[in-house]
Amino acid sequence: MKDLILLLPEIFLVVTLAGVVIGEIGHKDEKTRLAPATALAGLVGALVQTLILYGLGPAEAFSGAVSVDGFALFFKLYAITLAALSILMPGGGREMSPSKRAEHCALVLGAALAVCLVAAASDIILIFLSMQLLFVVGCFLTAHGRRNRSGAEASVKYLVFGVASAFLFLFGAAILFAYTHVFNIYDMHKVLLANPMPAPVAAVAFVMIFFALAFHIVAFPMSLVAPDVLEGAPTPVGAGLSLGARAAGFALAIRMIVVVFAQPSLSKGQWAGMAGFDWIGILAIISGLTMVAGSLLALVQTSAKRLVSYIVVAQTGFLLMGLLVLDEVGISALLFNLVVDLFALSGAYFVISTMYDELGSDRLAGLGGMLHKYPAESISLILFLACAAGLPPLPGFMGKFALTGAAVRHGWYALAVVAIISSALGAVAMGRLSFSLIGRFGQGDGGERPNIQRVAFLASLIIPMIMIGIFAERVLDWAGKSLQFARW
Amino acid sequence: MGNNLITSMVFLPFVGALLQAVLPASANRGGIAVGKWAALGASIASSVCGMILVFSMRKQTAEMQAVELIPWVGSYAISYEMAVDGINALLILLMAIIFPLLISAEWEQKAGSRGMHGLLLILQTALLGAVCAQDLFLMFFFWSMSILPFYFLIGIWGGPGKETAAFRTIVAGAAGNALFFGALLLIYYSVDPHTFSLKELSGGKLAGKTFLFLGRELQVSSVAFGLVCAGLALRAPVWPIHGWFTHAAEEAPASVFVAMSAAAVPVAAGLFMRLSYSLFPETVARAAQGIVIVGIVNLVMGGLCAMVQRGLRLLLAFICLSGVGFILMGIGSLNPIGVVGATYQQLVLGLGVAGFGLFYGIVFDRTGGTEFADMKGSAIIGGIAPRAPAVALVAGLVIASILGFPGMGGFVGQTLLMVGSYSIHPVAVIIAGVMILLATYYLFMMYRYIFLGKQSGMAVEFIDLTVREKAYFVPLVASLLLFGLYPKPFIELVRPTALTLLSTIK
Repeated sequence: MKDLILLLPEIFLVVTLAGVVIGEIGHKDEKTRLAPATALAGLVGALVQTLILYGLGPAEAFSGAVSVDGFALFFKLYAITLAALSILMPGGGREMSPSKRAEHCALVLGAALAVCLVAAASDIILIFLSMQLLFVVGCFLTAHGRRNRSGAEASVKYLVFGVASAFLFLFGAAILFAYTHVFNIYDMHKVLLANPMPAPVAAVAFVMIFFALAFHIVAFPMSLVAPDVLEGAPTPVGAGLSLGARAAGFALAIRMIVVVFAQPSLSKGQWAGMAGFDWIGILAIISGLTMVAGSLLALVQTSAKRLVSYIVVAQTGFLLMGLLVLDEVGISALLFNLVVDLFALSGAYFVISTMYDELGSDRLAGLGGMLHKYPAESISLILFLACAAGLPPLPGFMGKFALTGAAVRHGWYALAVVAIISSALGAVAMGRLSFSLIGRFGQGDGGERPNIQRVAFLASLIIPMIMIGIFAERVLDWAGKSLQFARW
Repeated sequence: MGNNLITSMVFLPFVGALLQAVLPASANRGGIAVGKWAALGASIASSVCGMILVFSMRKQTAEMQAVELIPWVGSYAISYEMAVDGINALLILLMAIIFPLLISAEWEQKAGSRGMHGLLLILQTALLGAVCAQDLFLMFFFWSMSILPFYFLIGIWGGPGKETAAFRTIVAGAAGNALFFGALLLIYYSVDPHTFSLKELSGGKLAGKTFLFLGRELQVSSVAFGLVCAGLALRAPVWPIHGWFTHAAEEAPASVFVAMSAAAVPVAAGLFMRLSYSLFPETVARAAQGIVIVGIVNLVMGGLCAMVQRGLRLLLAFICLSGVGFILMGIGSLNPIGVVGATYQQLVLGLGVAGFGLFYGIVFDRTGGTEFADMKGSAIIGGIAPRAPAVALVAGLVIASILGFPGMGGFVGQTLLMVGSYSIHPVAVIIAGVMILLATYYLFMMYRYIFLGKQSGMAVEFIDLTVREKAYFVPLVASLLLFGLYPKPFIELVRPTALTLLSTIK
């Protein structure tokens, strides 16, 4: 029974998902569709459950297959908030037909459920299964827009690379199992501490598992395909994938790396790399390459969505810096950045999607005059972009500082230099995009009446974003506290 | 003083900027007027706070005054620490005088006046914050906040080539900020316990610290000093990386270029002074000669380029360039008089440049151009003095101050700089003197073209200063005269701080 109580958020999500699906099957041309409202109610319930679970402290359920610790709860909160945001996102009709709204709700709930499971899973089979659930939902979501070629292409690319990454993960997991004969990652940890893997075996296992995860966190080798996917998918889905799937990937990467591929170091709040095989260098190179590739390519894009997608890639490089230093300060900086991105990137994608609805394209050259026509939306977009680029006074700046600082503290000066250069490049790329909005200022007809629904949604993103900046201390604290892992 | 004057001074303009965004957007005249008055009111309120702050400062002490200290992000030892001392007091005065003038200069702006006023107010907040911050992180926070407003101000309201000019500005700014940010991280992590507080970092805490970079051992203080120098040089025009600045001068509206050259450039010089003297005393002692050489190169290149200009915009840009050279000479002199002169020069250079910029703004408004002569030397705009005596008077006084004529603010600054530097770098001072003579030549050539001689071109319809224009020129010229005729109280503010800072270097 206690096991089920610990899984209440997921159970809530499943029940809501079932409710939405059944309601959708049963509906018959009603004017008001209850699917979004049902989904929201379920998400709020799950959110409350998660917050209650925070009080219980770290625990594990189903004989250790699921850990309900601060870390998992952090990502559950994250996934549920993101799902609520993407259901609330007032959408236009050009990218996704309004009649598909209920399906979208169901898929978003499924994705949230998958992220919750990924964050909590500590059994390698469960990890694989929940990753696959996320991946399958992702495939549906990508192909879910109105029929167009780039959407189909995005979906196929996502499918092919996702399957490849699934196999890589399976191979890596198989190696780990073959060596340790256990499925639970905490048990693996104990076995590996007692007799470490030989370096070549560890290298193969690590590289396979990390490359599999690189697909979800859009890190370097796998990042080459990500912008195609994010551009082709309908914009709200792009936001969901670049935030939700990436967060799930990071949740898993952090847990796998800290538990399986690292060992507790003598000083508190720090870990050391694996005995015999130093993978931190590999991670540093991937981090640097991801940053440079992301921000350089962002600089030359001509479409807004693609530009933001490359910024997401660059951001992943930054986040990896927080992971490779292997201490609580670095990882809590990573979590802080994820929270900032939640608001900044979903806002950016949302504004771009409304502009796409308006113009039928998101070419930078075509965006001119938007500031004049839609002042509220354009100013918000500029703020979101400035936040993602790490410009003060927005919280993204604090996040970049914390991540780069983590690298400097551990003596990764060269990586920090790369990070600083690519953040400058990213700022310039952002400048290009926001500049295209203000082109042809003051020409054409006057501004449109502000759309109350859109403005309210934007305010619900900007206000938390600015609050995170002012109360950065609290958020960093919370992220730090979320770093308790069950069963250490 | 527990009266939060600094906080009110820094954040009142920001509140005004928020008001610009929040006030109901009605397109009728009343709605626009409310926005304008709100902007001007916020800016003036901040200026009043600034003036009370500076005039109530205790003299004869180098201590930080009106300190406000609130922990902000405890886990990274970042605090909101603001204070005034001799180095920033005059810069606060400069901001207090300039920003209300800029807003009234853009009073009649047709396209998006709200946006423009809002951005100018954000600039005021950013620059005042950077000047007052006593925490390295906070200083960087405000300082890098100031690049985006410039980008939009140039990009939206600039001339025909505004896109490229704005792009170059933000590229230079982003690069400068990145370098500064690198210095900040390096400094923070090289001291134990990690701290950003300038007070705790000062006094040679960084001396002798080293770090490993790609297998080579480097001195923290020299690398960080280099990064700070390069970072600030990209924001203040230093030859040869001034291309973005002159480009901005050509495209930016007059008031925006004034904000850039008369507010942001002196602030950059002020930050350079504070950081280099307090954080890297031993590195500055070694690099002083280099700073003076850079200053002289700036002075000479600025002067030579200004000499051949036939347009007011670029002329001002190069005057500003050579003014920066002058300040750098004073900073590098490491002599109390020279340092006081450099601080004073930041103030009067800012005022002089602002006056000149607003003057060409007026010329541009009335004639649609700022070229006063063509390449063959015949006047395009000429002989407007009889039609516009007030403009002629104001321009004459501003030029006199830029040239350092006795009685004007520029005189005090330049005299202090030259007297202070002469004992250490006599050659530099002689070169500077020659450049001032050269400036006399080209500025009076310009004056002769525009104001004297036969009326030609657009000058026929040139109207004199309107009441609104007088309203913002009078305070400017009055303060130039005040700082020129009665500099004693201001110098007394600066002197103790300069002496204390220099005592840590020797």
